[in-house]
Amino acid sequence: MSCGNRHATPCTEVLSLVYVYIDNECEEMQSIEVTTHLEECGPCADIVQVERVIKARVKSSCECTEAPETLRASIVTSIRATYYRSE
Amino acid sequence: MSWPDAVPLTVNLDDSVGSSVMSEVAGTEEQAEDRTARFERDALPFLDQLYGAAMRMTKNPSDAEDLVQETFVKAFAAFDSYTDGTNLKAWLFRILTNTYINTYRKKQREPYQSSADELLDWQIAEAESHTSTGLRSAEMEALDRLADADIVEAMAALPEEFRLAVYLADVEGFPYKEIAEIMETPVGTVMSRLHRGRKLLRDSLADYAVERGYVPAASVSGGDES
Repeated sequence: MSCGNRHATPCTEVLSLVYVYIDNECEEMQSIEVTTHLEECGPCADIVQVERVIKARVKSSCECTEAPETLRASIVTSIRATYYRSE
Repeated sequence: MSWPDAVPLTVNLDDSVGSSVMSEVAGTEEQAEDRTARFERDALPFLDQLYGAAMRMTKNPSDAEDLVQETFVKAFAAFDSYTDGTNLKAWLFRILTNTYINTYRKKQREPYQSSADELLDWQIAEAESHTSTGLRSAEMEALDRLADADIVEAMAALPEEFRLAVYLADVEGFPYKEIAEIMETPVGTVMSRLHRGRKLLRDSLADYAVERGYVPAASVSGGDES
């Protein structure tokens, strides 16, 4: 199904590239085709927008974990112990 | 073969052997010390990122700490094989992932999720489409209202291989090629895991939005309208 309007690149093709597009992994020509399509097709642009928002929310909600200071100290201790053992 | 020229060398043999051994020992010692310093300077700054990933993998702080500790010890032991100037972060994430899969997943007894056929599966079976009207504004509004904890929960509920692919792409921003190297799978499999993982994630976020009463059930479609 498509939005009913004529596009140089069909909606189905654009929608199959949504993730590749938002991850900046499209080839240059593909990327241009998708961008052009999104400028003329509201429904596809909305879908891309939702996926972009989810991607951004995943990043902001999952990234802010700070390692405990005791872990850092313990790693440094292990590394230095390995070094002295190897001497 | 003749030895006449070698004779004069015998005079200084002891000295020369002695000094060469000495310099070799000094060289090794300096190298090991340098390596330790270089490792602490270059690799240790990735601690928070590796711990963050380990938390999403193991889902508990104690296992995450053990996993990261083991990862750094392994990385240090293999640091000679790491080529300076190449992607250290990806190299560390690969060791982390590998250690997780070989040690912690077994320990946690999560079932192995085979994904060999995923690519063809979704490419053939899933015809992408959208309706002309769409109801995306409701979906956007629901997304705005969901808490970070909801997103974290939805991520945690994803099958492991999907969760990891989405994490590496969205949180760490690794390109597909590097995710493929980290997860030791073809790029096509990475794409398929991302595709499926994100669809599942979107579905469960839509479910949360309905459960929380942010939107009426009818106005949010988590998947594709066909």
